[in-house]
Amino acid sequence: MAVITIDGIRLEVPDGKNVLECALDAGIYIPHLCHHKDLLPLGSCRMCIVEVEGEASPVPSCKLEARDGLVIQTQTEEVKRLRMLALELLLAGHPEDCSTCPKYGNCELQMLIQYIGPKTGRLKMRSKGFAANDKNPLILHDMNRCVLCGRCVRACGDLRGVNVLHYQKREDLEVYTGTLHQKLLKDANCRFCQACVEVCPTGTIRDKLASSEVRKEDYVVPCRKGCPAHIDVPRYIRFIEQGDYAAATATVREKVPFPHSLGYICVHSCELECKHQFLNEPVSIRNLKRYAAEHDDGSWKEKAFHKPATGKKIAVVGGGPSGLTAAYYGAKLGHSVTVFECADKLGGQLRYGIPSYRLPREVVDKEIADILEAGDITVKTGTKIDNVPALLEQGFDAVYVAVGTHQGARLPLPGNDLEGVQVNTDFLRAFEEGTASVGERVVILGGGNVAIDCAGAAFRLGAKSIDMACLEAYDAMTATDEERAWAEEEGVVLHNSKTFPQILGENGHVTGVEIQSVGNFRKENGRMVFDKLEGTNEILPADTVIFATGQRPTIPMDPEAFGLALTHGNYVAADESGKTSVAGIWAGGDSMTGTTSVIKGIAGARTAISEIDKFLGGDGNIEESLAPEQVKNPYIGSIEGFADIPRTDPRVVPCPERVENWQSCGPMDQGFDDAKAKCEAGRCLQCDLRLCISRPQTWGDFAKEGEKA
Amino acid sequence: MADFETQVVVIAGGPAGLSAAVQAAEDGAEVILLEKNAAVGGAANMGMGPLAIGSKYQQRQMIDITVEKALNMFMEYTHYNVNGRLVKRYFEQSAETIEWLEDMGVEFEGAYKYFTKSEATWHIVKTDQGIGPRAASFMNKALYARAQELGVTFMLETAGKKILQDEDGKVCGVVAMDKDGKEITIACKAAILACGGGGANPEFIKEQTGYTFGVDMFNFAIPGNVGDGIRMAWEAGGHKVPVRIEAAANFEGIDELPQSVPNVLMQPNLLVDKHGKRVMDEEQMQNTTYLSNACSHAKGRVLYSIVDTSIVKYYMRNGVDEISMVRFDPDVSDFTEGVRIAEETGNKGLFKADSLEELAEKCGIDVDNLLETVDNYNDYCDGYDEEFFKRKKYLRPLTKAPYYAAAVRPGGYGTVGGIDINENCEVLNNDLDPIPGLYAAGADACNIYDDSYMFLLPGNSMGFAVNTGRIAGMQAVEYMDEED
Repeated sequence: MAVITIDGIRLEVPDGKNVLECALDAGIYIPHLCHHKDLLPLGSCRMCIVEVEGEASPVPSCKLEARDGLVIQTQTEEVKRLRMLALELLLAGHPEDCSTCPKYGNCELQMLIQYIGPKTGRLKMRSKGFAANDKNPLILHDMNRCVLCGRCVRACGDLRGVNVLHYQKREDLEVYTGTLHQKLLKDANCRFCQACVEVCPTGTIRDKLASSEVRKEDYVVPCRKGCPAHIDVPRYIRFIEQGDYAAATATVREKVPFPHSLGYICVHSCELECKHQFLNEPVSIRNLKRYAAEHDDGSWKEKAFHKPATGKKIAVVGGGPSGLTAAYYGAKLGHSVTVFECADKLGGQLRYGIPSYRLPREVVDKEIADILEAGDITVKTGTKIDNVPALLEQGFDAVYVAVGTHQGARLPLPGNDLEGVQVNTDFLRAFEEGTASVGERVVILGGGNVAIDCAGAAFRLGAKSIDMACLEAYDAMTATDEERAWAEEEGVVLHNSKTFPQILGENGHVTGVEIQSVGNFRKENGRMVFDKLEGTNEILPADTVIFATGQRPTIPMDPEAFGLALTHGNYVAADESGKTSVAGIWAGGDSMTGTTSVIKGIAGARTAISEIDKFLGGDGNIEESLAPEQVKNPYIGSIEGFADIPRTDPRVVPCPERVENWQSCGPMDQGFDDAKAKCEAGRCLQCDLRLCISRPQTWGDFAKEGEKA
Repeated sequence: MADFETQVVVIAGGPAGLSAAVQAAEDGAEVILLEKNAAVGGAANMGMGPLAIGSKYQQRQMIDITVEKALNMFMEYTHYNVNGRLVKRYFEQSAETIEWLEDMGVEFEGAYKYFTKSEATWHIVKTDQGIGPRAASFMNKALYARAQELGVTFMLETAGKKILQDEDGKVCGVVAMDKDGKEITIACKAAILACGGGGANPEFIKEQTGYTFGVDMFNFAIPGNVGDGIRMAWEAGGHKVPVRIEAAANFEGIDELPQSVPNVLMQPNLLVDKHGKRVMDEEQMQNTTYLSNACSHAKGRVLYSIVDTSIVKYYMRNGVDEISMVRFDPDVSDFTEGVRIAEETGNKGLFKADSLEELAEKCGIDVDNLLETVDNYNDYCDGYDEEFFKRKKYLRPLTKAPYYAAAVRPGGYGTVGGIDINENCEVLNNDLDPIPGLYAAGADACNIYDDSYMFLLPGNSMGFAVNTGRIAGMQAVEYMDEED
């Protein structure tokens, strides 16, 4: 311990601690620019100079170590004069006009100017004459705004161990920070962690994705924002990289009860946001999740919350992923839950919509079993609820409705009722139940993932040829690129930008589909608009036609009968939290949002059950901490060619093996093995590390402190 | 249920919001100020000082400007399209506001013109030496310190999102988003909007003014100024009045070069449009609002300022003819250095050519017309400017290669106007009656210029911000007292 005095205030501080930190921690503001709490002191900017009793000239306080008896003045006339001079010299080489700078309002230099007092005029201004460097992904460099505080160099080197950024000299001896020989960041083995962006006090090194209108956490870690359930993606990828798969799955389970199923079939909005796409391709997040779930040991169960019984009863209408998620949390919150499912088995789209060669039924069954274990849950399968509010009269205190969209749309075309014409939902359900059949020449109408599933199922039932026709152009199809590629491998012939004037038939049986090219296809106010191109008509011969052109809730068209207000298209009308027209009844999943995704259905259920709990007198809190504390090592080091490491492809059963032996070859997508998982987890940019860097300490913060005191 | 409770919520902490907070607190109110950025001061941190009329500085400097004269200038200039009561109250209070600021430690250099033809109404904040940009950030600091002394609670990195009204339409709260992205509710009796317009919101600019940011509009885009205040007022039932660009011409990309480059090219040089024809007496270019308007009406919304090597050499040797408070240094001796930097960094706004033909081609100007215009212009230099009557002292022939040209485009400081207020800074509804408890100040409500910024009375926008901020603060407290 040392006793030092700063501006007459006596402080007890650890011996050797730098005096600037001592002052800041004690609520005494000393202006500083090159100093940053997380970085080694440099002492170059001269802003933090102080007078030390007994010493001839002022010294930078960031380089001054505390020792007993030190007496310091931070605001003498001499100190102020020298600080002003240092700032003046610095500003002489900084662009005068801040109004075009995106850092305006959050710039530490601007705040220093405000604190120390504006200075201009005495020195000749000069422009450093750098062109803004926009050649790198994610990070922009505008060296004209650099004040050479060296924070980026220290962050890249000392803090991260990446060592990409160094002081460099231009031919005319102008100093700047950057890569050797002005290499691209990726060629210098940058890890794109953006620590340099975070510590830069000015608008010199900037995040290209930053926006004043988006929460910082959301543009810094967009994968987590992109996931409808906001699963902490970088956290579980780091657990995988560390080899702790149970902890990784526990992290996913903190937000969703279906980690394994999602690992197979999630639409992975997180990957669409992943910042790695600006380097080459996004991290294969879904496959990582699946690999971790395959190696889960169930240890998360010990940490899961279970609240005491409340005596309240919740009815869940629909036993799909959304309904089961509501049941899971409802039971954990201590309520007694009854799930009503009209089909014979639970699972909804996971079972009746997605074919088993893509999502093994053991996986679904295991996850449902875990859910049913969570508390007081009664399941009534084969039970259809025709009128929802009646459940309230039967003694339930609240209801969650998520009946899904299990009714395929048969477009109003001539010939749509011919023998051999089927619809997606019925076809896939029959495929699951083993009762589906197709002919040899199949035409699928539609271009989404469901259409792809129909095609895959038809091939596995023995179809010889499959044509798929849809309104969308090839690159505008709603099916994911991966699934479309698999379908093409299996032999599907795509007919893009087509409309279907009629289905042809003979003797009551389908013989083909007439298709016609369209131009200028677009959606206006939710309606499809396009121009038909005359003279482009052709006939696709067929003995089976499957409509895969959307699906709707299986709700009686009469809203009076169902008891809830419906929207156009027969979806349940509800607000953002899922609250319906009837008090005590919430809705979610596809039957409220329209056919979207499993993860959205789960996210909606989480929101709704939280509201239901509040309605029943609880606090609505379903957050839980299932994974252990994570050690985040900020010293990530350098990796040769890091940015160019390609995305890891999963192991896929080849064609025709996966079609011919589909019942015995296991899931067609075999996911990752250990080496692949490790490699892919290592590609993560660890964007979340940036959020662990300390915020700058500006004089405004200290003024606030003063006010509290 | 509210997370916080106070009497007055001020949304945003630029000069208008800070002044409102200080005034309301001085008048006894409990105040919370929300600021989206990490620092207070807003766009004014770049500015130099507010307008005042009839101040002691003007008296001392023997500058003859009175509220009566300024008001009449204003009303004539705007064709009586603006609220005279508001302009009058603002002007009348402006001199006392200088003393109000001095009482909290702000010092002024004196009253200044922006350019030769303007009036000396600009009260520039004192710095240790010289006059230059950012002077007003010191005024903001003093306002901030004063507000804290008065017990105003500051919530930084917290953005106002929505005004809450009770069943009678009276303001009863404000919804905001804090720095962690959490929504918070603050119950209050009055709210003051002072969000600085929507200069950083290209869609808003397009929608409200028809300009496309980065294509035919190059205004300052202070991060965070996206029209929050205007939107909140409109959502609360406020009457919509036109949003305008506070126009100031932009010399595309050349502000990043040494000051000598823009300084040379903003002189009253030969100025032509894409057709190769002159459009104005170039002496008027100093009124950068007029210049921006001229650009708006030109083909491609661009004009070109052209000099030859003999003119450049003259400026380099003797200094430029015209300076302003922003471009205060007549020395342009490093012009050639600036041109080199422009070439090396691939600057898009500056053109250099070895002949007029080549220059015309590089800029996309009609060659034959340009040659004819230069011929005529050179003749005028021996006689007088028959075309636009430019004064003799600015007429210099273009004869010696290389030639230089700079593209001049519409620009501005951001948006002004949108919220309709009366002289008490009360936000008006569609019947032009006040919305109880809702006030607005500064750029969000600055409708007093009509279509074009009034550059003849410089310091206007900051003057309007500080003074309407004060008025809003006083009126809010008066309203609360009456309600109680």
